[in-house]
Amino acid sequence: MQPADAQDPFIHLVNDHRNILYKICRMYGATEPDRQDLFQEIVIQLWRSYPSFRGEARFSTWLYRIALNTAISDLRKQRRRITPVDPNELSAPLPDIPYSTEKDEQLQQLYAAIDRLTEVEKALTMLYLEDKSFHEMEEILGIPQNNLRVKIHRIKEKLRKMTKEAAYGIR
Amino acid sequence: MELDNLKTIWKEQQTLAPETDPARLSDLLRMGSRGPIARMRRNLRVEAFLMIITYIPTIIAYLTMVGGHLWLISLFLFVVLSLYAVYYYRKDLLLGKMQCVACEVRSNLARQVRTLRKYIRFYLWSGTLVILIAILVAWETLRYSMRLKAIPLHWWFQPAFQLPLISLFAVGLFYLNKWYVNKLYGRHVERLEKMLRELDED
Repeated sequence: MQPADAQDPFIHLVNDHRNILYKICRMYGATEPDRQDLFQEIVIQLWRSYPSFRGEARFSTWLYRIALNTAISDLRKQRRRITPVDPNELSAPLPDIPYSTEKDEQLQQLYAAIDRLTEVEKALTMLYLEDKSFHEMEEILGIPQNNLRVKIHRIKEKLRKMTKEAAYGIR
Repeated sequence: MELDNLKTIWKEQQTLAPETDPARLSDLLRMGSRGPIARMRRNLRVEAFLMIITYIPTIIAYLTMVGGHLWLISLFLFVVLSLYAVYYYRKDLLLGKMQCVACEVRSNLARQVRTLRKYIRFYLWSGTLVILIAILVAWETLRYSMRLKAIPLHWWFQPAFQLPLISLFAVGLFYLNKWYVNKLYGRHVERLEKMLRELDED
């Protein structure tokens, strides 16, 4: 149990980085209750590991590690499990749902495509979209940078195909 | 849709995450983890507690019954309880080492696979052995009390008949345990190994 006076700075840090948590929960949780469960679990794991954070790595790097480790190795059965598919096997476009703006629609298409990636690919996509350097990705994931470059390239191709499929190849 | 555009859209979703209420976060910090390993540890402790509340009164009862003449049965049961204590302690130790959430994702996955494999092996072999010893002790206790009460032992109580039966039972128990352990953790280990392979492949 951490001292009570550590709570306030911790809560402040979590709130400062809430966007990262939000995006990870959105990526890995299939439904809203799954996302809430995951958010709760990540915050608990962050709090438990907080005394071990010595500032050697950036706070965001440390947070990414804990959040991704928690999301990836979760054993719980999600309420709606999504099976990753090969984009080449997509015969029909992703479901088209009416959205208020074009950007919202694009964001939903992006999430729909991400939903079809594997857990590892989701982690890489998250870091890529967050503009993380290969050095920082290596620090978070523990994969050599050469390997990361190859993987990111493949995922970009996969996402491009899937989002094009979703947009009927218009964009 | 080009991926560079996606990056811009991705970054613009910042407004979607409203500030979390500090009071709610403070409540969360007081809660226990509902993660798989935390649940496994909780279940293990419940199991150990049930063993203790079942065995201790039985040991005391045999120790105080019939003027302490059944002390040998108490000793048998105490040995079994001690074996279970070692078994639960080792399992808890392995579960405690199973994850390092603040480590790199790859090394955490490798650690989970390694420890979970060790845990499964331990669960399978020592679990089968402890159950078998517990049954043998119960069986011997029965024989011992029958002898004390001068009840004649039938032919099917003789070791020549019992040994093949016990061996057959041990094999059956092993495979039953294997099936059960695989049902509990098999898919999870496979999933973790698949992710680890995916991280390692070029």
